[in-house]
Amino acid sequence: MNAASIPHTHPIEEAGHGRATPEASRFGMIIFLASEAMLFAGLLGGYFILRWAANGFPWQPGHAWPPDGVEVHLPWRQTLAATVFLVGSSFTYHAAEVAVRKGRSGLFWLVVTLALGSVFIGFQVYEWIHLHHEGLWFHTGGIYGSSFFVITGFHGMHVAVGLALIAWVILRQVFTRCYTPARHVSLNNVGLYWHFVDVVWIFVFTLLYLV
Amino acid sequence: MNTLTAREIPHVDDHAEPGFVRKYLWTYDHKMIGLQYFWTALAFLFLGGGLALLVRYQLGWPNTSVPLIGWLLPSSVASEGAIVPGGYNMLVTMHATVMVFFVVMPLLIGAFGNFLIPLQIGARDMAFPLLNELSYWLYVLSGCVLLAAFFVPGGAPGTGWTAYAPLSADGAYNGTRIGQSLWGVAIFINGLSSIAGAVNYITTVVNLRCPGMTMFRMPLTIWALFITAVLLVLAVPVLSAAAAMLFCDLNFGTSFFKPSGGGQPLLWQHLFWFFGHPEVYIMILPAMGLASEIISVFSRKPIFGYRAMVWAMVAIGFLGFVVWGHHMFVSGMNIALSAGFSVSTMLIAVPSAIKTFNWMGTVWRGSIEFTTAMCFALGFVSMFVIGGLSGIFMASTPVDLFVHHTYFIVAHIHYVLFGGSLFAVFGAIYFWFPKMFGRMLSETLGKLHFVVTFICFNLAFFPMHNLGLGGMMRRIADPPVYEHLKQLQPLNQISSVGAIGLGFATFLLVWNMVAALRRRPDAPANPWHANTLEWTVPSPPGHGNFPVTPTVYHGPYEYSVPGMDQDYLPQNQPAPEGVRLAAH
Amino acid sequence: MRTPVIAFVAALVCGSIARASGGLPNPYWAPGSVTATGAKIDVLLNTIFWLTFAVFVATQSVFVYYLVKYRRRAGVRALYSHGNNRLEIVWTAIPAVIFLLLAVVGNRMWLDITSGAPEDALKVNISSYQFGWDMRYAGADGKLGAIEVGKVGLENKFGLSPDDPAAADDFTTMELVIPAGRPVHVYLNSRDVIHSFYVPAFRLYQDAVPGRTITWVWFEVDRPGKFELACSQLCGTGHYNMKAPIRVLPPAEFDAWYAEKSRAALRARGGPPGLAPRVASSVPSDNAP
Repeated sequence: MNAASIPHTHPIEEAGHGRATPEASRFGMIIFLASEAMLFAGLLGGYFILRWAANGFPWQPGHAWPPDGVEVHLPWRQTLAATVFLVGSSFTYHAAEVAVRKGRSGLFWLVVTLALGSVFIGFQVYEWIHLHHEGLWFHTGGIYGSSFFVITGFHGMHVAVGLALIAWVILRQVFTRCYTPARHVSLNNVGLYWHFVDVVWIFVFTLLYLV
Repeated sequence: MNTLTAREIPHVDDHAEPGFVRKYLWTYDHKMIGLQYFWTALAFLFLGGGLALLVRYQLGWPNTSVPLIGWLLPSSVASEGAIVPGGYNMLVTMHATVMVFFVVMPLLIGAFGNFLIPLQIGARDMAFPLLNELSYWLYVLSGCVLLAAFFVPGGAPGTGWTAYAPLSADGAYNGTRIGQSLWGVAIFINGLSSIAGAVNYITTVVNLRCPGMTMFRMPLTIWALFITAVLLVLAVPVLSAAAAMLFCDLNFGTSFFKPSGGGQPLLWQHLFWFFGHPEVYIMILPAMGLASEIISVFSRKPIFGYRAMVWAMVAIGFLGFVVWGHHMFVSGMNIALSAGFSVSTMLIAVPSAIKTFNWMGTVWRGSIEFTTAMCFALGFVSMFVIGGLSGIFMASTPVDLFVHHTYFIVAHIHYVLFGGSLFAVFGAIYFWFPKMFGRMLSETLGKLHFVVTFICFNLAFFPMHNLGLGGMMRRIADPPVYEHLKQLQPLNQISSVGAIGLGFATFLLVWNMVAALRRRPDAPANPWHANTLEWTVPSPPGHGNFPVTPTVYHGPYEYSVPGMDQDYLPQNQPAPEGVRLAAH
Repeated sequence: MRTPVIAFVAALVCGSIARASGGLPNPYWAPGSVTATGAKIDVLLNTIFWLTFAVFVATQSVFVYYLVKYRRRAGVRALYSHGNNRLEIVWTAIPAVIFLLLAVVGNRMWLDITSGAPEDALKVNISSYQFGWDMRYAGADGKLGAIEVGKVGLENKFGLSPDDPAAADDFTTMELVIPAGRPVHVYLNSRDVIHSFYVPAFRLYQDAVPGRTITWVWFEVDRPGKFELACSQLCGTGHYNMKAPIRVLPPAEFDAWYAEKSRAALRARGGPPGLAPRVASSVPSDNAP
């Protein structure tokens, strides 16, 4: 491959520099998600160690979770319903991407995704308020309260950012119709982020509620 | 691997010259962003160094008024000019925090990484220029948050840069709840900056290499920065998680690290060191890369064992994730786990040894020119050997029972971080200053800087080996309080004198740079006759770096090729007719 | 080739043993070691010291030799060489073997050191706090009151139960007094933050972690003397001065001291130390050991 045959790939924009190529953009998002995975690995790893040191796992002799003295239990059935909404929203986002690849606007499925994600957040907010009323908070319930609120708090913040990103994607499509079958980089990247947030939730839900 | 995406642009400077703000303060040009990091980090170097001088003064002449500036120190740090014990703890904590997060990492990775990566791989710029500028300003923001800790009620944190819990997790124990919280926030924001930068570097190296620039034709500097970026992506977020948990313990009453609520003090150590150990490799790998370039150029010889050098760095990066427990041998961690970490720690010395032998092999049968850059690069190898050898003592668990948390460790740290990382930074400054600023630095001043630095560095830090083995603990404000340390006090004084000398020596560097910047920019494109791509464009390079996307024909270390008059062969020039290059 | 290497290593080890025993001065100003464990550690320390010293001298001198010999001279060109794979293998394998050996030797010693105190060791509970040390001894009955680590705190310095008969006669000091020539087993606690038990002459260091009792630390000091216990883990503003005297007494003197302290404790109160005082309910016993 010699210099003369290098194609002009993108027009130079106002900033004076070309946009990153689709491949580079997607690659960057994946590396970023690797760092996010390590953030949750640190939080969940910490949770694992704390709960294990407190004899909190079912396979440990004399196990008690929540620890003795904490009366409040997490409402796993209700949160299971919330989980269904969040997982469903990943499927609907994928449907939006398929629609765009087929030449449609994808707006219907994007809005459904936004709605489902908002329902999930609503469930989370309600759960926090409910637990708070029951007496469980950051500073009560020892490591049970600490880990629950900080971990779901971090996850919730990531969901909120995801919803903001989906709203941004919707607005861009509505006002500029920029997502075409040939080019829909940020649509895909936001999708990657959203699916990631979903997968993290599976881990969080399993470790915090089911085990 | 996708290497087609570097774009060809017909003109290098095809738009109007930007104003001051768009040129210097909010820029998307990786070279200028590199310089932003460079100057900011140098400013922090003087702050961190100043804090160290205060520490060294107190250790040399405890409880006496600090000359000249003692009266300036706030009441949390000193009383009537003499440093108080709580203030001493703050100085030690902030010195290390500043040096690690605001000096060494930004210099090696922010400044030289940014400046060199696109140039050395033949790209116009980084993959994500806006993200690049955001990284810089996040770094600045985190610095402001950290410095604010000095001015809040209670003052700056005094728990060490390692911030062990529960001392750090409870304001009742440390007396600096707000300062410690700001520390945690600063670390978190700084982490965002690092992660964003790492995402940028990895994407750039993988996707934007010019035609012909295969991974194994990249300069070692790029390999080093690439592996460093991978370490950053995987390690920094764990520290971020820990910092968030610490913040919550301090301010929201959570119990992650407090036994009273069922928390585990050792959890902080595991999380911190899971980050902390890759962190030290993050701080040494780029230095190894920079030193390798300089040594090859001024020996006029290819790097000895290029592939071995690459695999050694990969091994260091990988093994760096399974040795963190060696900081915790005597922490109360499981005894058998300690044994495991001892094995992995001994093993990680092997790739560093390989690299040292390869540097020696590079100068062997070379044609060595002792420029200032080369002096610092060679000094890097020498001092790194000492730092590496002292590490063997601590890697051995029974010996660690004796040396843990003593000045032996402090000696080790500084031999690798100052004698290692900072020496490489100094060498890199002398080497790439012409490319960055278009002026040559004075070699005379440079050699003086080197000689004074080398002598004062060893004067300051070698005695710490003896102090540590003599039983001096870390982080104590007044060593003669202990009987067995009274006789060692002269060593502390020698060390302090050396440290003061180091302070003066560093001014020589600043003087050199300022004087050079006042001269006309007349540096040639390739003053050192080096092979890597940055030397094929003007000093400094224009916007967009390369008028035409380069094509690379061979590796970066083709020096003294037989059959050529010239003893170097830039990467974008094919070998002349009849000249055979060795494959590597 | 092998014989000189073996001889060299043997010389290193023998020299290290000779140096370590009897607490002879060493080239790096460490305080003389006074425990059996310390002597073992010193053998390893000395071995590593001389090994790294030899490597240091060898590498630095070869390096400097190359720098001098291969400095730039007119008309002399550098060698165009990209390396030597066989050499890479050699200088990978040799350090790997040496380091692995060190790791194995070190681990065996480590597991030996931490394998548990002798049954008949003198038990001392050392409770650290911001910024001092309290030592608790078993008293007249020779039984140290059990530590409930969850209870350790300001209100209950040693985590004792008021009803524990073994704890009732325990006595406390602010100095660590121990007999020479007899094993001492430390139970290490902290009431607040992480401190650490550090005595360089014993070659001993161990963090004291709140919420846990660390029990592997034991030592036997081979001669009487005075030492200092230093806290060696940054624990706050008073860290710099957190020390306690250690007095190692000849056995007979120690026994007398112990008996006197036990008697005094029985006379003084009717409950475990370190708790808020309660009304004495029993007549102190006159049974002195």
